[in-house]
Amino acid sequence: MGKMLVVFKREYLERVRSKWFLIATLLGPVFLGVITVLPIALASRTKSSDRLSDVIIIDATGTDLGARVSKALASTTPNAPAPRLKVVIAEQVAREEDRATHQVMNHEAVGYMVLDANTTAGKDMRYAGRNATALIDVDNIERMVRQSLLGQRLEREGIDPNRVASLTNVRLDAKTEKITDKGKEGASGLTSFFFGYGIALVLYMMIAIYGQSIMRGVLEEKTTRVAEVVVSSVKPDTLLAGKILGAGLVAVTQVSAWLLMSFLMYQVRGPLLRVFGAPAMAGAAIKIPSVAPIVGVALVLFFILGFLLYAALFGAVGAMVSNQEDVQQAATPVMLLLIASLVFMQPILLNPSSTLAKTMSWMPFSAPLMMPLRMALIAIPWYEIVGALLSVAIGCWIAIWASARIYRVGLLMYGKKPSFRELARWIRMA
Amino acid sequence: MPEPAVAIANVTKRFDATVAVKDLSLVVPRGAVYGLLGPNGAGKTTTIRMMLDIIAPDSGSISILGRPHLDPGVLDRIGYLPEERGLYKKMQVRRVLRFLAELKGVKPKDADRRINSWLERLSLTTSEKDWGNSKIDELSRGMQQKVQFIGTLVHEPELVILDEPFSGLDPINAQALKDTVVELKRDGKTVIFSTHLMDNAERLCDSVCIIAHGEKVLDGKVDAVKESQGSRNVALALDGGTPDAVRTVLQDRKLVARADDQNRFFEIELATGADPQELLQRLVAGGARVRRFELVTPSLHQIFLERVGASGVEEGISGHG
Repeated sequence: MGKMLVVFKREYLERVRSKWFLIATLLGPVFLGVITVLPIALASRTKSSDRLSDVIIIDATGTDLGARVSKALASTTPNAPAPRLKVVIAEQVAREEDRATHQVMNHEAVGYMVLDANTTAGKDMRYAGRNATALIDVDNIERMVRQSLLGQRLEREGIDPNRVASLTNVRLDAKTEKITDKGKEGASGLTSFFFGYGIALVLYMMIAIYGQSIMRGVLEEKTTRVAEVVVSSVKPDTLLAGKILGAGLVAVTQVSAWLLMSFLMYQVRGPLLRVFGAPAMAGAAIKIPSVAPIVGVALVLFFILGFLLYAALFGAVGAMVSNQEDVQQAATPVMLLLIASLVFMQPILLNPSSTLAKTMSWMPFSAPLMMPLRMALIAIPWYEIVGALLSVAIGCWIAIWASARIYRVGLLMYGKKPSFRELARWIRMA
Repeated sequence: MPEPAVAIANVTKRFDATVAVKDLSLVVPRGAVYGLLGPNGAGKTTTIRMMLDIIAPDSGSISILGRPHLDPGVLDRIGYLPEERGLYKKMQVRRVLRFLAELKGVKPKDADRRINSWLERLSLTTSEKDWGNSKIDELSRGMQQKVQFIGTLVHEPELVILDEPFSGLDPINAQALKDTVVELKRDGKTVIFSTHLMDNAERLCDSVCIIAHGEKVLDGKVDAVKESQGSRNVALALDGGTPDAVRTVLQDRKLVARADDQNRFFEIELATGADPQELLQRLVAGGARVRRFELVTPSLHQIFLERVGASGVEEGISGHG
């Protein structure tokens, strides 16, 4: 125990003393803010393009639908060119589409849409254009066509055109609020979304950064040959444990510093936002979602277990190889496990109750990221949380057991990177 | 008779198909300078690592300073300098040394005091510069070796184990190391070192153990080892060249079993039943200008060559390192 403390102390102090730690701790929140807020801010722009009406409408419906859509679109962006309507028969659509494509390519229009029998049947329409990937634009166009179609149908049923206009003019934005077992929360669904995303991202970053830093530390001890001196005084298992815990506490120190800085910034958010030109009111709109104590405890447990699991694996990888060239390659399987969680973050954010989400939050390798994410989004029954924690704990125990054995053998082994079969033998013989 | 510093009994260690150490037993007396001799790959490092519980033997027992080497605290009484040396490059010298001392159970306050006195003693702290606050990678190789050496001795171990300590040392540092070994012995410590440099071993060691292919070839006090090989050796030094007639005499297998030609000096092993007087007469008759002709006990180098044989000798084995 005493020796582990010595290793732990060295690991912690040397890491905290480094200037990289200082820089990362100070700039972390800025960086985190940029990478989380910026893409979201860009994607969720509520203002649509100011050239929405600058399109070509190819109308093969044989009705006045094209004209209706054209009129509706023209009114959205009065300053942009009005839509150009081409009324054609079905056989001419292909030719008109070719022509329209060229016009869009020559910057004569932003895009074109095709309305045909499918559209009047209420099934689909087609849109192609430079803004086809801008969700908000496509959303607006869809709404216009839907409204126009609805209006057309209503008029056909003999309803006064003036009344149709007022009847179909429904915008309806959803203002969302999250409800948990404890009732409504102050924060909106969107805030929980960011919160869950943020927590999972921070966990991922801490595991990736500090896990790999443990791996490099182990490798450094091998390449500088200091490992042999150290293991003549302390058991390899104790050394590995001290290193992992030391690096883990550094991660905790860093996150705590970030939280503290965020809290301080939150306290002075009004003046701070004014500096960036935002109205003072905006400050009041920022709400921190409340976290139930039990959720907080679970988050910490997931973080600790997840960190231990990956840190042990990364430590073993560091002991497996003998030089810098091999280490990235050897770390790939471990990184893939970690990145898999990140890749699935998006679909799980969108549907946190799906089977995929449930499965991922039960697997030891992904649970430490996925369960906190889901917990921030929706209410999870307690037995699922406990089950996931158990699963991670078991995975963690196996990872530590195998890693300690690989570490024990690998630490004094130099030369070629071992194959999986050799690794299995190391585990057996340790 | 105090407990021996190290007692190894019937230790065997296999790595997969190869046997690194085979049924090895040896006893290192307290207060001795003990040489573990053998060609590269003989199992010296494996034996040392087993003493330090860096690797576990497959069978056999090891006791250190009278206690099983796995007893808690036993390893803290050993100072170890591995063959491949190295320290944390980005760490300050004092912090590295404090870490190593604390790993051996030295209290931080004692550690600092000892480290400072060592740094001064090895002139790493002078009136102009205190290298103790520099990072390891800012030090020259020689200075790094000094720091490593302090790390081996800072906890005042009763048993010091040095694996190939002379490799990579320049003559000045090698001399400093020899002085330190003598000093440690004077302070009553036990020193074990492995080497394939027989000259160093012959001059420094009280006792030796020669191993080859993981097996003990012979061991004991240096004098006894040499005596047991008999005084069948002649040290011969000639002035001027070596006439062909003299060479013919030295190649006479009835007279000379082996002649180690070292240019101006020969170490000659007499054939069984050969008379040294006859050798001298024939040499003089052959025109040799004899400067020295002495019956001697064989050098460790000779014994080593003889007992380990050419098969066990690899490149890098020499008595003149």
